[in-house]
Amino acid sequence: MTDSHLARRTLLRYGAYGAGAAALAGTAASWDRLTGADIPGRDDGSLVVATLGPAYGPEAIRTLTEGFRKVHPGIKLRINAVQAVDWSDFFAKILTQIAAGTAPDLVYVATEGVQLFAQRLGVPLDRWVKRDSAELKEYFADVHPSLVESMMYEGHLYQLPVEFNAADMYLNRQVLRRAGADFPAPDWNRDDFTALLRAMKKSSGSQFTPYFWTNRLWGGVVPWLFAGGTNLLSESKAPGGSWLWDSFYPAAEREGRGGGFRWTTPQATDGRVEETYDYLASLIQEGLCTRPEGGNGQNLVGVFSTGRVGVTPAGGFWAGGLHLAGMQASGFDVQYFPRWRTQRHQFGAAGYALLRTSKKQDEAWEFIKYAARRDTLMRLFDTNQTTPARRSMLTAARYAESGPKHWPVFYDTLDKFPDTGPIPAPPQVAEVTEVLLKYTGTALASPRSVRPALRRMQGDLEKAMERDV
Amino acid sequence: MSQATLSLSRARYSLGPWARITALAVCALLTLGPVIWTVSTSLRTPAQSFDLPPKIIPTHPTAEAYRGVFSQIDVWLLALNSTLVTALIAVGQMITAGLAGYAFARLEFRFKKPLFGLVLATMMVPLQVTIVPVFLVLKSMGLTDTLLGLIIPAFPTAFGTFLMRQYFLGMPRDLGEAAMLDGAGPWRIFRSVYAPLATPGLAIVGVLAFNYHWNEFFRPLILETSGQNYTLPLGLVSLQGNLGTGSISVVLAGVVLSMIPAVAVFAVGQRPLREGITSAGVNR
Amino acid sequence: MTNTQVPAVRPRAATPAADVSRPSPLRTRGTRLLAALFLAPTVVGIVVFTVVPIVGSVVLSLFHWNVIDSPSFAGMANYREVFTDATVRVSFLNTLVFMVFAVAAQLLIALALALTLNGRMPGWLRSVFRSAFFFPLVLSAASISVVMKYLFNQDFGVVNWLIGLVGISPVPWLTSEHAALATVIIVYVWQQFGFSFLLFIGGLNNIPKEVHEAASLDGATGLRKHLHVTLPLLSPTLLVATVVGVINALQVFEQPYVLTNGGPGDSTRTVVMVIYETAFEQLRFGEASAVGVLLFVLIMAVTALQFRLSRRFVHYQ
Repeated sequence: MTDSHLARRTLLRYGAYGAGAAALAGTAASWDRLTGADIPGRDDGSLVVATLGPAYGPEAIRTLTEGFRKVHPGIKLRINAVQAVDWSDFFAKILTQIAAGTAPDLVYVATEGVQLFAQRLGVPLDRWVKRDSAELKEYFADVHPSLVESMMYEGHLYQLPVEFNAADMYLNRQVLRRAGADFPAPDWNRDDFTALLRAMKKSSGSQFTPYFWTNRLWGGVVPWLFAGGTNLLSESKAPGGSWLWDSFYPAAEREGRGGGFRWTTPQATDGRVEETYDYLASLIQEGLCTRPEGGNGQNLVGVFSTGRVGVTPAGGFWAGGLHLAGMQASGFDVQYFPRWRTQRHQFGAAGYALLRTSKKQDEAWEFIKYAARRDTLMRLFDTNQTTPARRSMLTAARYAESGPKHWPVFYDTLDKFPDTGPIPAPPQVAEVTEVLLKYTGTALASPRSVRPALRRMQGDLEKAMERDV
Repeated sequence: MSQATLSLSRARYSLGPWARITALAVCALLTLGPVIWTVSTSLRTPAQSFDLPPKIIPTHPTAEAYRGVFSQIDVWLLALNSTLVTALIAVGQMITAGLAGYAFARLEFRFKKPLFGLVLATMMVPLQVTIVPVFLVLKSMGLTDTLLGLIIPAFPTAFGTFLMRQYFLGMPRDLGEAAMLDGAGPWRIFRSVYAPLATPGLAIVGVLAFNYHWNEFFRPLILETSGQNYTLPLGLVSLQGNLGTGSISVVLAGVVLSMIPAVAVFAVGQRPLREGITSAGVNR
Repeated sequence: MTNTQVPAVRPRAATPAADVSRPSPLRTRGTRLLAALFLAPTVVGIVVFTVVPIVGSVVLSLFHWNVIDSPSFAGMANYREVFTDATVRVSFLNTLVFMVFAVAAQLLIALALALTLNGRMPGWLRSVFRSAFFFPLVLSAASISVVMKYLFNQDFGVVNWLIGLVGISPVPWLTSEHAALATVIIVYVWQQFGFSFLLFIGGLNNIPKEVHEAASLDGATGLRKHLHVTLPLLSPTLLVATVVGVINALQVFEQPYVLTNGGPGDSTRTVVMVIYETAFEQLRFGEASAVGVLLFVLIMAVTALQFRLSRRFVHYQ
């Protein structure tokens, strides 16, 4: 007993010596790795671009970097794919970098953060756009003005949109067949929608819920508010912007355009908002709809592709997502969001924002232009992980493999419904989102809680909007 | 102490052995159930991932999801980073905890109690509270966005120091006193009497450190900005895809892959770990 | 067999107090020098990476700072703001409720399993069970929460399917204000009880068998024996398990962050989540620091209270 005990000790001791020696050797050998000295383009005056990791894989980054080098051999470029679960995580990391004085030059920013970045950190692109207007004519001709307008703040343009996603309705074809229902018409309304959910419910067993949605700013309750002819915050447009509209868009398309949205007064207790929540609450009561689940919608692709859900709101990014999940192109299709008072849709867009702290603003502008080029986007978005901002890229060939059959819906959501607009994202977006998600959860948790929850939502929104960001 | 003598004292336990074993088996199943589900789902196609009842033994097991993990993220680089960070933190903690634990257990000096209190109090500081100042400290040292910036701040370990103190306290005092009577100084006493006995204790600190830092998410999330510096848990995030469109099988395959080293260390280090945590609860 | 591996850590007959009161021959200059050298890495590390940042946080809590502009002095304004903020209040309440139930459940389950495992059974079976109960500890909290989110899904999750087998209708585990905190506690306890479990296994092994035998001879059996003999002897272990459990529970973050993101409503928002959101999402670093300082004070107070209470309940051999 004692002997083996001692032997074990000795063994452990030599094991520890060995581990120590290995650690020492390992440390020495990997010193460059430990200090990050082996990362190309680090601290050497490269133009630094921060992108959202999950949206941009290693392949995409290589494509972007190599393509840019060919066009601008003189500009060193480093793309930093920031790993984050969602936009708020992403912003948290960018802010830490800014706090540390190691801010990137360009940041990939979605609608959620456009005004926040514009107000606090951004540089308007106006002077470069005006300077290079000849070169940009082709770009603007290919991009819907609604997308461009969503990147404006108080009359100035802060980003060139490269992608967007509108909240359309995805339908599972197998579930439709089971319910004996036809594919809905483009002008279907809310009652058609409810009737379809009922038919689906009736024809399917347990462990099936007709309508699934995620409690988030994009694609959650807001598309229903839009369809109901209202919004979370009262909406108006800033003056200005005609410098852009007049030089790039024909009269018909620039009508009603301004200098970007202003979302100011909260209106959660507005009758139409209440009605929207009542409608969703009634769907939940009837078992036609899941309770809103917090988070980033991870369950969604799985449950939809396996026919446990019949209908859900999503954008062009889902074509790629469902394809990746192994769903056949014939297994699903997409249609517009149903009409209620209006058929106005909700979208989110994204592009590169130039930070004030950047010392390479001219080089950064070259990258912004490069990133919005058609050939760049063609290479970048080849798996349909999002909807390209350029209309000309939405072709039958693009959606031949992944589906859906009604792919033109993606861009027609903008073209056919010119009032389709961005999610409400004022500079106070973080708090507004938090308040919205919080009270949407409460409002729909039980039948009688809609009104009290909306009253509290209103109070908190007012507080949030008063706050100087 | 042999099994036979121990069971003597247990003979009068009220529950019958079969009832006890059944109850324990049910609990063990509940404990391992989610892990089993994870492994089995990672071997199924995404289309089968939500099947109910869940097919624990996949009818057509496929490694598709694992191929997906390797094609979507640079697993090797992430694993290298994770290994470097975790291994160096483990070694560093063994050194700091071994030395400090010995000092608190066997050396007499002023301010011992308040210093020990200070060490223990660091357990009470939530990471999220200090992360911004820590970031600024690292910046002044030029260590932001480096693996060293993750490693060095993790060297002091409150629980490890506490464990090693317990461990040294448990060693007979007479050993050191005998050596002293033989004329050995404090360093000799540590070096030749106590340190050789401490190896199992240090193994515990090492295994605990590995276990915690291999899975660490928050610090790397905030501190590492370059993709080349990500650790595995951070890299796995991108498997969730844009707006959560990633395939669940691939996400779970990533979880299983990242589990393997932790499980391996657990298998090897289970005994010291168990004993280490055990000793922490005994004695004061 | 198993408990012979570390004979050295057996509690010795001498009372711990003797360590301090006995004038030690080790109190020399060489000793002090050695102590200083040995403590240097730990103490310097703690000062640089914990003490300085805490002081930094306290200072920061007196300023308005959004990272982008330079900080402006706020005095106690952040604290006033924090004290009147309903979300902050709810988060402290949630955290305390979470702590009480999570720690109680963790200790009870661990204790019950440790006592049951201590009964008669084949050695290999014992070690299989021990490994199983310990296993969740080696997993990452964030990953396992992703998995749990699937399992606890109201409509498609395995958990609701399982309870459906015995005729219970689906529970909105993560989407109801009444159930969500309980679900977060379940997931947390599932992962954490193994730690207390191992502490108890060790504590039980360290109870001298003579004590049990004597108690058995006196006719004490089953629950009675545990209540009057085992528990008091186990009390030092219980103290460590409770203190560590409480400290960890008060800092819970990953589970609610991944499972519910704090919702529905504020029902699962914990203090650390509020700190994270206030600082990194809303850019109010001053207020976030104020909440952090309050949490730190709370943790210290609760820990001190436990040690105070322990004087009455903990028996050292």
